[in-house]
Amino acid sequence: MTNVPDRLKNAIGDTRRRLASVWRIARWETSRSVGTIDRRTAVLGAIIIVLTGAVVGSVAVAGSAGLAIDRDIYRVGVDTENPYYPVVAESSQLAAAEPSQDALAAGELDILVDQPGEDAITWYVAESEKGAAAHSTLLSAIDRYTEHRMAAEPNESAAYPVRVDLQYVSRSTDATTPGGSDDGTQSDRPAGNGDEDTTGGADTSGSSGDETASDASGGESSTEGTTGGPLPSIGTQAFGGSQSGSPAAIQPPFPFSSLLLAFLFLVPMNFVSQAYGGTMLNERINRRGELLLVAPLARTTIIAGKTLPYLLAAIAVTAIIATIVGGGLLSVFAVVPIALGFLSATFVAAMIARSFKELTFVTVTIAVLVTTYAFVPAIFTNVTPIALISPLSIVVMDLQGEAVSIGEYLFSTGPFYAGSAVLFVLGSGIYREEDMFTQKPIPAKVIDALNAQLSGYASVGLWTALYVPFVFTAELLAIAILYVAPIELSIPVLLVTIALIEELAKSVHVYAGYARSRFERRLPVAVGLGIASGVGFFFAEKFTAIAQVVGLPELAIGQAAFAPTGLTPTLAAGLLAAPLVLHTVTATITAVGARDGRLVYASALVIATIVHAAYNYGVVMLYA
Amino acid sequence: MIAVDGLQKVYGDFAAVVGSTFSVESGEILGIVGPNGAGKTTTLKMIAGLIEPTEGTATVAGYDASEPEMRQILGFLPEESPLYEDMTPRSYLRFFADLYDVPREAAIERAMDTLDRLELEHRDRRIGDMSKGMKRKVAIARSLVNDPAVVIYDEPASGLDPLTTNTVLEFTRELKASGKTVIFSAHNLYHVESVCDRVVIMNEGRIIARGTVQELRETYGSREYQLRADVRPSEIEPTDTTIRGDSVEHLFTADSMAEADRIREAIEAADGTVLDFRTEESTLEAIFLELTGEPMAGSRQVHDSTAKSERRTAAGETS
Repeated sequence: MTNVPDRLKNAIGDTRRRLASVWRIARWETSRSVGTIDRRTAVLGAIIIVLTGAVVGSVAVAGSAGLAIDRDIYRVGVDTENPYYPVVAESSQLAAAEPSQDALAAGELDILVDQPGEDAITWYVAESEKGAAAHSTLLSAIDRYTEHRMAAEPNESAAYPVRVDLQYVSRSTDATTPGGSDDGTQSDRPAGNGDEDTTGGADTSGSSGDETASDASGGESSTEGTTGGPLPSIGTQAFGGSQSGSPAAIQPPFPFSSLLLAFLFLVPMNFVSQAYGGTMLNERINRRGELLLVAPLARTTIIAGKTLPYLLAAIAVTAIIATIVGGGLLSVFAVVPIALGFLSATFVAAMIARSFKELTFVTVTIAVLVTTYAFVPAIFTNVTPIALISPLSIVVMDLQGEAVSIGEYLFSTGPFYAGSAVLFVLGSGIYREEDMFTQKPIPAKVIDALNAQLSGYASVGLWTALYVPFVFTAELLAIAILYVAPIELSIPVLLVTIALIEELAKSVHVYAGYARSRFERRLPVAVGLGIASGVGFFFAEKFTAIAQVVGLPELAIGQAAFAPTGLTPTLAAGLLAAPLVLHTVTATITAVGARDGRLVYASALVIATIVHAAYNYGVVMLYA
Repeated sequence: MIAVDGLQKVYGDFAAVVGSTFSVESGEILGIVGPNGAGKTTTLKMIAGLIEPTEGTATVAGYDASEPEMRQILGFLPEESPLYEDMTPRSYLRFFADLYDVPREAAIERAMDTLDRLELEHRDRRIGDMSKGMKRKVAIARSLVNDPAVVIYDEPASGLDPLTTNTVLEFTRELKASGKTVIFSAHNLYHVESVCDRVVIMNEGRIIARGTVQELRETYGSREYQLRADVRPSEIEPTDTTIRGDSVEHLFTADSMAEADRIREAIEAADGTVLDFRTEESTLEAIFLELTGEPMAGSRQVHDSTAKSERRTAAGETS
């Protein structure tokens, strides 16, 4: 019997050996992947990368230096004493030249701005398409120059006699009490808030310029009114400080420039994941992976070794992009879980696809879904904290120079990390001879992957719990998508959607177990599986909610779940027990249905969803 | 060295292997023969730890087949040669030596020695540009890169030309001579007969016979004694008579040596001469055809008894 230090020493030695094997496979994978590209292609690729880098770099440098590729393309004859001279001088597209009718006639000028008298200015535009374009450019330059001067005016009232303040308020989830605001402009706000909160546009419209500047920055103050707590101070730089200006100059609450730069991080992920999917599928084609499986290596070591180069490549590309666009380490750390999400989903895709055609179909679907999930919420980074469901929002915040708390980072990236881990485990379950080299339709492979992790009641509960990050992700995506729908439609659809997602998560692996004859079809066994699944879901859901509260204490949903006010201890205990009962009952319904095949399972799923949705509706009514 | 006990593999309602039990001694070559779908490859992969048995166990040198440590002493050659075609034999073998944690120099030396013995000269040519026989040789060299104590070869000569086949068979004999334990599966019964010490015959997932080739002959084959003589004793009917000009030759056959002695005595009593005496034995192929040609008792059910295979055990192994 070995003692503790010996066991520790053995464990360390084992870990070192395993890491060495991972590194060996990673190096081999890298050299082999590079070896599959012939020299000519490699040289061409390198040239393209260098050129792309040079162009992106040039654009970045030009942008930061105030350079423009259309610099001085129009020549304007204007005297230095002419009031339009500063306009021409400030515009990058216009070049001031000596005013001369002859020069205009000779085509050396596109516009001549003549000032025959003190107040009389005459414009001569060359009769050509370039002359017309130069005229249009000059008019725009005049507008910009004027805007700039007005913005620089210390006396705002003099510059802008009429002003409009914008405030973005959060939507209310109260479908039963629309309206109620004191100014009547926010019809979807819950009743009763209008008097207490300080968000009404009328209340702040007359405030000082300083107050307005801060209010207009995000919309957080309105949410504060409805939730009773402050929200993270995100989006304070969205409008670059003051929002004074003409209506045309008022920006929407989207951090366009940061968002577009953040999107750049997603683009290379598609290439990396395609290459990764290809190499993983290659192991299955012609049974090449068999020899790795028969080597003295754990499956996880092989998978880690083959994945590592692609993860490192994704991180390296992310770091390069971050350097170019001005992001920091935070941006890189925010993109890493997205990269893991791409890779893990691609790994599972490569394990279930039968051909490269199927792999392409699945990976494109994954790329669209992950990109949508990452990008769409990030659009609302400056509007609502729900945007933090996407790690890309962290990138946007980083690019805007905002601070991000650890809680926000974990809230944003946690589901990606957890989801990626679960996907890798699911995929590794079928990374074995019996599954890798068999040709089955994708649904059958999915069933195999789900079934491979099951052994008994505890495993069912555990895996239900592990699916909760996906449930969380899917539900938040549903919320983000339904965000723009009318509340009369979005709430009921959301209640049913959430019920369906949760019931599916609790039952799909139970169905997989029955489909592969893992479980006995006796009723007591099905009931036991249902209870195990329901209990697993309940605890994981509550753990996730705790994580939300820790990560984002301001988020209303977390407060609603854990800090309902005005409840007696008995009622509070009842409210806590009710979800447990719900989840076990509905999971039992689906487990019983799963015993008898696909159709009966589908029917049971519908019944469970209806029961669950009815419960959700009851809870909403209770809180309302 | 290898012990297989009640090994069973079931896919849904289909039993690929039913209750296989056998053992292989150290330094022995065991052949597994059977038609396509007999369960040979599944059995080999369960021993190699690639496929998890539904029931039963397989141990190699005391390690359970599922333990990664077991694979450190195992060399496995699958039926196909799934090589990485963009690599050269040298880089390919070096990579696998690394995977097995074999000191690189020793591994390369061993691999090159193996390639020498297999007469493969093109060490730095892209594997994708090689012939099937060359690839097979590289795959064999890969299976030995870790100097395994146990080698499992699944159809090692499948699809190879006669010359390469002969090289591979000769090499397999060399493995035995160097003290390695070999399990060898093949369709070609001549290969098995010429290389293996003992044979297991599988059909429809079951072991239907086992033993040395000689034991199998004695149990399932037939032995015929043939005598040719220039006279015909009146009391014995010849099987065949050949007349060439003035000479007459009679062929007599006997099922036992005692009967052959009786025929010989009768010929000599008739003043005849035994021109030729020989023993004709069944080939393994004939035995195999006889065994598998007859309808199998019972269907291929999961929990079917393995009594039939045990009844047919020739070598007296217990299961």
